[in-house]
Amino acid sequence: MSTDLPPQVGRTRAGEPATFLEAVAEALWEEMERDDRVFLMGEDIGAYGGAFKVTRGFLDRFGPSRVIDTPISEGGFTGAAAGAAHMGLRPVVEMQFMDFISPAYDVLTNYIATSLYRGSGPLPLVVRGPAGGGNRGGPFHSQNVEMAFFHTPGLKIVYPSTPSDAKGLLKSAIRDDDPVLFEEHKGLYRAPFCRETLPAADRVVPIGKARVALEGEDLTIVSYGLMVHRCLEAAEALARDRIRVEVIDLRTLLPLDEEAIAASVRKTGKLLIVHEDTRTGGIAGEIAIRMNERAFEWLDGPILRVTAIDSPVPFSGELEDYFLPTAADVATAGRYLFRY
Amino acid sequence: MRGLAGIPREALEDLLFQCLQGKLLEERLRRSDTPQVLSGATREIDLRGIAIARAMRRTRDGKGDLCFPGPLAPGPALAFGATPLEYLRHAARTRTSPASARSGGDSWTDLRRGILGWSGRPGMMTQVVAGAALAFARRDADRAALAFESFPALDSGGWHEGMSLAAAQRAPVLVVLAGRDDGDRRSTTGSIARAYGIREIRAPANDLASLFRVASRARRRMAAEGGPALMKLGLLSAGRRGALLPQLRKQLLSEGLLLPSEIDAIARTASAGVSQALSRILREGAPEPEDALVAVRMDSAPLHPWTRMRSPSPEGSRVPSKEPGAVHVH
Repeated sequence: MSTDLPPQVGRTRAGEPATFLEAVAEALWEEMERDDRVFLMGEDIGAYGGAFKVTRGFLDRFGPSRVIDTPISEGGFTGAAAGAAHMGLRPVVEMQFMDFISPAYDVLTNYIATSLYRGSGPLPLVVRGPAGGGNRGGPFHSQNVEMAFFHTPGLKIVYPSTPSDAKGLLKSAIRDDDPVLFEEHKGLYRAPFCRETLPAADRVVPIGKARVALEGEDLTIVSYGLMVHRCLEAAEALARDRIRVEVIDLRTLLPLDEEAIAASVRKTGKLLIVHEDTRTGGIAGEIAIRMNERAFEWLDGPILRVTAIDSPVPFSGELEDYFLPTAADVATAGRYLFRY
Repeated sequence: MRGLAGIPREALEDLLFQCLQGKLLEERLRRSDTPQVLSGATREIDLRGIAIARAMRRTRDGKGDLCFPGPLAPGPALAFGATPLEYLRHAARTRTSPASARSGGDSWTDLRRGILGWSGRPGMMTQVVAGAALAFARRDADRAALAFESFPALDSGGWHEGMSLAAAQRAPVLVVLAGRDDGDRRSTTGSIARAYGIREIRAPANDLASLFRVASRARRRMAAEGGPALMKLGLLSAGRRGALLPQLRKQLLSEGLLLPSEIDAIARTASAGVSQALSRILREGAPEPEDALVAVRMDSAPLHPWTRMRSPSPEGSRVPSKEPGAVHVH
């Protein structure tokens, strides 16, 4: 087995800034080095190194018993991960694209998510993979799948927006005793604006805690994943209009850190929710009702949302650009809400 | 090798006890005076499932073999150390049941004993058991898995995905297809095994001791060499099913391994356990409604329906106020 580090896991040790993808790879590598119960399963993750090369070099270092190339059978290998987790291992399942998780919906929602409640014990496993649009992937390689699982009791859903959070949250997810869905926006994977020098120490980021990405007084914008960056762009534009925006990066969708949102709403009195996922049944609806329950007296305007439109993700670039929410959309909604 | 040859006397005594216990439990559950609370309990315990499951390596510390009883539940679970009372509690959905009345079907999970239960789509559990066997293979432990599935599982993609992975990864799992094979298929167990490049275990259909021996050998080979195996247990007529236990008894007597008095003593012990379980289950109550409220995640607290709390408010502890900032806590 090789002792050389593959390039995508050596940035932090070299003191260099890491991309989002490299942060994910480092988290996997370090957790596999730390705990021999951790192993990977997925399509083309071994010899090929993964569709996005997150696991390039892992097979050489950790061997075929810990980096398992699976048949094209998302339900089968997710179910197998559950069995391995029952036996004390810590599987990390890669969906080549998160769109492909749908064949595993049965085992995830009916078996894995219910395990603890049924008295079958916890199932510590992670299902991770690239999600989101903007890469001209069309309807089958661009989806955000979080809300298909959001209403399933028993799961956790993590969707980070920065390399440091991706690394720290993935480490937490692997160490967590509950099943965790971990979405990685592929638009962040190699984005130049999304490089960070990561701490060399073994830093974990707790699941279930949002962060304030930008402090402000006039308006709260809540988002996650790539859209956090769109919101920060919008906040810059709004700042030029003297509108001071607070941006909350959820980081974890389930469990939802509603206290962080409520605390910000109590400060600003205005709430805008932004997600790349489609509109109907998106997390904005859930956040809106929770703030209606928790912070109604503090609201000085309607809760608004900016989302993708309710359609499959279109393939053509022109169509996809229109489909996806933009920083300009966020800024427009922010101005409207500020003046309300 | 036929008859009882090669099987230690203690193993045969144990097999007899397990099968007697299963048979007695079945007979008691079939009686017309079975308590109403057990109306959902099985009326059929296939002793062949007990014989196969008893051939596996069982422990009580979660480090032995693993068994998914599937359509033959609860027999293989009893063979893996579950007690008749535990099964009756599960069937009656009492508050004391192993799954705390929160799970259905005829089986439940007890990982200390190596029992993996589920009530769901045929085939899915082959995936899960294959993953457990994969864990055994990865750690080079002397462990193997056993999964009973019904023949309709063969018509599910999930079963084939599980078998495909188990075969590719050389996971030590014995998959036993049981029950009525009435699917519109031309493949046989042998042709399926060949297609996956795995072993087919030919089961002697009507001889408990031979089934035990064949399963023991398959288990040893899987644990040593890895790789799954496939076995078929076809339907038996009621007459042939009823002849299984007398045949075992006859073999034990004819080969001089047990005296009639010893067999009677084993039968009395088994009967006492079943009787005690049946009388005790009548004294155990249903769960309280709020037993529905348990954690769904390791770090989550169950939430009461807020409308049923003493002071209704969405927060449960907060009285709505018109004045921002005013929060009253009970």
